[in-house]
Amino acid sequence: MQDTVLHLQGASKRFGSTVAADSIDLAVGAQEFFAVLGPSGSGKTTMLRMIAGLERPDSGRISIGGSDVTNLPPYRRGIGMVFQDFLLFPHKTVAENIVFPLRMQGMAETAKQENLEWVLNLVHLTGLEKRYPHQLSGGQKQRVALARGLVSRPALLLLDEPLANLDRELRKEMEIEIRRFQLELGIPFIYVTHNQEEALIMSDRIAIMRNGRIEQVGDKLDLYHNPGTAFVASFLGSPNAFEGRVVTVQDRHAVVDWFGNRVDARVNGALGAGDTAACFVKSEKIVIRPLSGGGDGLLSGVVRDIIFKGQYADYIVALDGKREIIVSGPPQLGFRRRDTRVVLSWGVDDCDAFAAGR
Amino acid sequence: MRGDRLRFWMLVLPGAAFLVVFLVLPLLSIVVFSFWRTESYQLIREWNIDNYATLISDKTYLRFLMRSLVMAGIVSLVSLAYAWPVALFIARHGGRYKLVLLLLTSAPFLTGEVLRVTALQQILGPIGIINMALQNFGMESVEALMYSSTASGIGLTYLWVPFMVLAIYLSLLNFDFDLLEVAKVNGAKPWRAFIEVTWPLNRAGTAIGIVLVFIPTLASSVTSQFLGGPDGALFGNILSHQFGATGTWAFGSAMGVVLFAISLAVIGIVWRAIGDFRRSGITIKGLEG
Repeated sequence: MQDTVLHLQGASKRFGSTVAADSIDLAVGAQEFFAVLGPSGSGKTTMLRMIAGLERPDSGRISIGGSDVTNLPPYRRGIGMVFQDFLLFPHKTVAENIVFPLRMQGMAETAKQENLEWVLNLVHLTGLEKRYPHQLSGGQKQRVALARGLVSRPALLLLDEPLANLDRELRKEMEIEIRRFQLELGIPFIYVTHNQEEALIMSDRIAIMRNGRIEQVGDKLDLYHNPGTAFVASFLGSPNAFEGRVVTVQDRHAVVDWFGNRVDARVNGALGAGDTAACFVKSEKIVIRPLSGGGDGLLSGVVRDIIFKGQYADYIVALDGKREIIVSGPPQLGFRRRDTRVVLSWGVDDCDAFAAGR
Repeated sequence: MRGDRLRFWMLVLPGAAFLVVFLVLPLLSIVVFSFWRTESYQLIREWNIDNYATLISDKTYLRFLMRSLVMAGIVSLVSLAYAWPVALFIARHGGRYKLVLLLLTSAPFLTGEVLRVTALQQILGPIGIINMALQNFGMESVEALMYSSTASGIGLTYLWVPFMVLAIYLSLLNFDFDLLEVAKVNGAKPWRAFIEVTWPLNRAGTAIGIVLVFIPTLASSVTSQFLGGPDGALFGNILSHQFGATGTWAFGSAMGVVLFAISLAVIGIVWRAIGDFRRSGITIKGLEG
């Protein structure tokens, strides 16, 4: 990795009896777009607030750009932050909101103006300087919030679910924009979200958080295709999850019995014959064919419904029991009717098995 | 359509009638009386401006008026300095006891004004707690606390400060304290964050608090009557005198009109001081085009 800009070592925080952050270790490099993904209550916002200095860790150390900031107040950390509800100052104009960090630094007037113009250009807000926040649309407010976070060219930008309050169209647009800002500025962005799509689209690396701990951290593709834990496997993508009994294990290849069906899976962790395995197979990794094609598939079933989603379709396949599996595929598969008999198959590496109950 | 109109008038009329009967009519009568004159406790309908001429020419009244204005100004400032931290504390740290704490600050209102003021005498007066304690320790009693303008000021502050606390507290309830975190992350020290964010966004509420303390203090009479001593009389005392012992209703009415005009002027000045509404952070839909 490149030079580390942000470093957390054993950072912990409790609120009463709740452990919000449990000994978090993390290193984020220069020029990295780093997403922190997790369900609500997983500690991702607490971690972000500790980095910002808005929460003081009970133990552990935090350093930014090589210097220890653990005991520094937020106003001495020199970082930018974008908040979920935009949190613009309602009594200040767009321009006043944006130059606020520069004014606090005591920057000279001309330099302030130059920076303002630069950032207005960057976020496409030129012409709106004199407006007040309540005169802006949601997307414009978001751009002002981003501009305020970026204007002082901080060592690090923290983003706390910045797109959560925008509608889908705008979100798509801003995802690309925010990625562009990051590439242009070349500073690390730490992006907290519970939306895996956002994390996958924008980031270089992702940390998945759960119960105040980092469950897994790594390159986003690696995380998606090689989940390290059952939680990560269930959290990323839209996986089918089922539990079965392990019949045989050879190297990392397990055959799992799932209500009389034998399915292939890749073993993660300690798993032996006779164990109960939690299995996850992502819906787009399943191959679906009509039965008439002479099927030696792993599973056979009946298409109960086809949900057309434009670029792809979800095929809901009822297996012989009452169980259902969702398969994503091209919308035109040669059969458009329901009740078509189909066979499903997948490669060993496409299904991940973990010891159940973890 | 007719139903809508009927409903409109049914909603408007009670309030309008109340205002006319209890505010507009009495005010009008005061204005009218102020241009009449009184003779042996009788109002006589002879139009003249002598009352106002006396008010201006006789420096006594002007002096009492100035004394009341200074008193109201000081009481407002002291209340302001006291109420801000109290309201801020309740709003930020009150938790589920917010309402209880707020009611506690208004505890003086649980009794009547006279009772409240006489209770203060038990603390400030010559045989009050403070001076008795001082004497017990062989020290001089504090003259300034006994039947003086200082005593009146303390009493008036005590009487009206709950309004100031309430006004600022209500303003702070609508204030998003998260904005302070934004300010701090962006480089503002706590005091700077207060000046940049907390104060401007609660200016309107503070102004309302000032009005709510200044105006009743300006017109007050009971407190100074009980605590002010012989030299502590305020404009309000002289005014109520006109309607009591001397029975000069017309002159008293003129004094009332002056008081009312000053109160309006104070509201106007405070309103102007709030300035640009957008700068107060108050964003009423439709206020802007």
